[in-house]
Amino acid sequence: MRRAVLWARLGRVPYGEALELQRYLHRLRCCGEVGDLVLSLEHDPVITLGRSADPRHVLADPLALEAAGVEVVPVERGGDVTYHGPGQLVIYPVVDLRGWGRRLRWYVWALEEVMLRVADAYGITAARVPGRPGIWVGDEKLGAVGVYVRRWVTMHGLALNVDPVPDGFRWIVPCGIHGAGATSLARLLGRPIGVREVEERAMEAFGEVFGASVARVRPEEIGAVTAG
Amino acid sequence: MADIVVPPLGGVEEVRVVRWLREVGDEVHAGEAVAEVEAEKATFVIEAPVGGRLYAILVPEGKTAAPGDVIGKIEEASG
Repeated sequence: MRRAVLWARLGRVPYGEALELQRYLHRLRCCGEVGDLVLSLEHDPVITLGRSADPRHVLADPLALEAAGVEVVPVERGGDVTYHGPGQLVIYPVVDLRGWGRRLRWYVWALEEVMLRVADAYGITAARVPGRPGIWVGDEKLGAVGVYVRRWVTMHGLALNVDPVPDGFRWIVPCGIHGAGATSLARLLGRPIGVREVEERAMEAFGEVFGASVARVRPEEIGAVTAG
Repeated sequence: MADIVVPPLGGVEEVRVVRWLREVGDEVHAGEAVAEVEAEKATFVIEAPVGGRLYAILVPEGKTAAPGDVIGKIEEASG
């Protein structure tokens, strides 16, 4: 039987608000009060520092970031420094991996696979690079993965660059890898592309990769209070 | 004395202890998060198997361990 996963599309959400929501849903999922679910959204510009982050990988002057309205937030996910902002599709599954065989490595692989399939749907060949989680086109990163798991329930997830402002990635050393830049679907295709259409494809791919039937619900139906 | 063990993580051969959330001597409750390990961009939380006092940290922050390894010990609360 295919597993049922609820999907809520949140639109654009400030980072802190989405984080609180994830933590809340994670608690509910841990005690079985909600089922498996996925949030999809875009963030206001933000730089986040994972558990292994080297603060030197934030290149921009703190005052310049403040002036640009960009927050710098330490978070519990694995990984180094990353940027989120409008034009980037973010997907946060809050799922109990006991339903998928307690396979942490598979889970990271699966999030990458979702992004690879989306890229492929647009005729873009991206790839995994050993030792560098995420998906890459040559030396440039197209999508990132960062995961947090407690009691086998996940938080955080993936971020796929659809059509973000290029500035965001100039503020950081993406994932702490010097010389590695970032790219986007729009840049690779040479045309603008909307996050919404990519979001649909990404959730189709999610259903395939996770062997799940994905049902879209309104945010309030997963007990979520979100920005309008 | 109870062991704090890195559980099998499904295909992961090595993890790095990124953070101890409690210090030696601290009281811990069963099920409380005591450490975080990281593998391949995934942070996994290790919880205290029993309540008591964190007696020893065997694998400090920044060091690696494998699933099945004992990374710390808890002196169980008596009574």
